[in-house]
Amino acid sequence: MPKKRTLLFFAVVIISFVLMTYQSKKGYIPSGNIFNVFLGGSQTIMQSVSDAFKRPFVRMALREEENVRLKRQIADLLQERGKFQEAILENKRLTELLKLGESSRNSVSSARIIGRDIVQWTHTLLLDKGQKDGVGKDMAAITPRGLAGKITNVSVSYSYLLLLTDINFAAAVRLQESRKEGILAGNGTRICGLKYIPYEEEVKPGDIVITSGLDLLFPAGIPVGYVSKVDNRGRGGNFQYIEVIPFQDDTKMEEVLIIR
Amino acid sequence: MKYLAWTAAVLLTFMLQGRISILGISPNLTAVLAFYAGIRYGEVRGLLIGSVIGACEDSISLSLIGPNLLGKGMVGFFSSFFVSGGVFRWTPLLGMIAIAFLTTIDNSIVFLSKSIFDKMPSAPGSGLFIALMQSLLSAPAGIFIRPRHVD
Repeated sequence: MPKKRTLLFFAVVIISFVLMTYQSKKGYIPSGNIFNVFLGGSQTIMQSVSDAFKRPFVRMALREEENVRLKRQIADLLQERGKFQEAILENKRLTELLKLGESSRNSVSSARIIGRDIVQWTHTLLLDKGQKDGVGKDMAAITPRGLAGKITNVSVSYSYLLLLTDINFAAAVRLQESRKEGILAGNGTRICGLKYIPYEEEVKPGDIVITSGLDLLFPAGIPVGYVSKVDNRGRGGNFQYIEVIPFQDDTKMEEVLIIR
Repeated sequence: MKYLAWTAAVLLTFMLQGRISILGISPNLTAVLAFYAGIRYGEVRGLLIGSVIGACEDSISLSLIGPNLLGKGMVGFFSSFFVSGGVFRWTPLLGMIAIAFLTTIDNSIVFLSKSIFDKMPSAPGSGLFIALMQSLLSAPAGIFIRPRHVD
């Protein structure tokens, strides 16, 4: 048996070598047509079956690709629309500011807010106008909504605006309806306090507060805010405790008009 | 019935081999089939079945007849030698190593035969890469193809 096995092994080797040697000299032996016809047919059938399975996935892939493209296009368009909207809003703000500047006789310059104080506990903003634009210390800053604050620090090209809400801010004001005078003081939050209003004075939430001009810093008649809360049960000591919400939200300010 | 099953298996192998491709390389399924024949039916039948499969593959390729005949014949012959229990005791790992090794041998025989008797089928580096990749692809089959005495 081992002999037969060895014999067969060498027979296969020899046959292979003979075949290959023959073909290397005389050319290939023509063969395989039947196999190829059969395999070709089978491959066609398999290809059809495979395509039938693949087609939905190919479509899905194409849709996915289209989806990604369209999403990108939507993002671009939204970005573009955002830019246009921003331009429209800026235009609106600047127009209002321009009107305010024209109506105000004491206008010095309009300024853009370019920074916020990095210290969390102070409420100041950095403006892009300074001494070279005529801005000086203690000048008032207003917006179309109302009083924004006052200039505390000025350099050649920049200035700092102290907001109403800062604890160091104070302004002489009066209640528009009752004409009663008081002092508006910031307390470090969004809400300011109206001080020195006696108990006998009737103050109600919603009353408008305007500058009185008596401090010689802010021109009279600039809207400041409205009364949001009145407590006349002794919380304010000898005077009423009154809270005022400024008309101008400092987090939404972008430009101010500086007046003297 | 047995012959019919083998014929169907051979044809299916040819069809699959033409369609499956991993990293651009088709697995050497005909070598796996020859390995199976050798493992299950012994070296003589393995040699014969392997040679027939190889001859068919050569015929289909419409080129030199002989390289695959010799290569697959060798796979069929030596697969039995590897794992029949005479020299080595079959384990799944040995099965994997054996099939990977024999696939490499088959590819080497085909490459050398074609290079000697016809023309070099590809650059040697590329040939080596193909041989190694086909060995890796064939290796898992070694776990499942067991000799009869293990069953």
